[in-house]
Amino acid sequence: MAAESPSSVRKVVVHLRATGDAPILKQAKFKIPGTDKFAKVIDFLRRQLHRDALFVYVNSAFSPNPDELVIDLYNNFGFDGKLVVNYACSMAWG
Amino acid sequence: MDVLHWDGTLSAKDFKIGAFAFAQKWESHNSGFPPWSWVLCPKHPWLASPEEEGYLSLEKICISRPNEEDIDQISQIDTGEEETSCPGNEDVIDDATLVQSGHHELHYCDFHIVYSSTFRVPVLYFRAYCSDGSPFPLDEIEKQLPACSANELSKSKWTFITQEEHPYLKRPWYKLHPCGTAEWMKLLFLSDAAKPKFDVVLELYLLSWFSVVGQVFGLRIPFKISN
Repeated sequence: MAAESPSSVRKVVVHLRATGDAPILKQAKFKIPGTDKFAKVIDFLRRQLHRDALFVYVNSAFSPNPDELVIDLYNNFGFDGKLVVNYACSMAWG
Repeated sequence: MDVLHWDGTLSAKDFKIGAFAFAQKWESHNSGFPPWSWVLCPKHPWLASPEEEGYLSLEKICISRPNEEDIDQISQIDTGEEETSCPGNEDVIDDATLVQSGHHELHYCDFHIVYSSTFRVPVLYFRAYCSDGSPFPLDEIEKQLPACSANELSKSKWTFITQEEHPYLKRPWYKLHPCGTAEWMKLLFLSDAAKPKFDVVLELYLLSWFSVVGQVFGLRIPFKISN
């Protein structure tokens, strides 16, 4: 019997999309294990953009909790074989 | 209403419609939590037909992080839901079934979603207290939050918290400042290539809004709620 089910090594294609006046990343597409948490995507974005305050969301006007698994997000919000993750930089607050 | 030119805000009337839609979806899909209730606050009760204002209320939500002993008890509890929680995440807990050891002090939070006529958006008001009802201050609340929320709180300028008088209850509550809300609500809905119709926006507005503000407290709403 296989020790791991196929889905545990499945990678999800993530496409990072700049919105508002956020800078566009040179490398905007990558693969991430489905079992990783969404927090990894957020952290990646923070490091790439050198910004701490980011507004991150998927289509269907939803902002996922960082604890969500990427594979779950893909299953619910993915299409065309990828998960599109939108990001915007902090706006005028307060 | 032309969604392309929408400014991200809601009228008081639309807030009420959106609030009811949100409460309904929450009740159907979020069985881990009690339902939101609508609290009516007639503006001028002496008039024959008073303007009906109100707010959504969700109270006595346990926000305490379980201590080590309790974690073993939690993992044995089968909540019977098909929640997609990752292992080790004890943040979403059905407090009706949670067994707590006696010496661990529990803290609770009341949440109110109140319409701001100045900003024309919903605002999250909250207050936290101990099991004996004594107030629990903000810096203590922060320690109770899930690690990534506490992190967000310290880093993220958008979760700007102020203490002020609750507009209806006239007592000090905390609120998440609403001045940026319209902008990120606009982004949430208008970034899709397919622009939704306004009645869809209204139906989902509070849900989308809550997916953002709920993260401050680690309050998670299941995805299927937005389908």
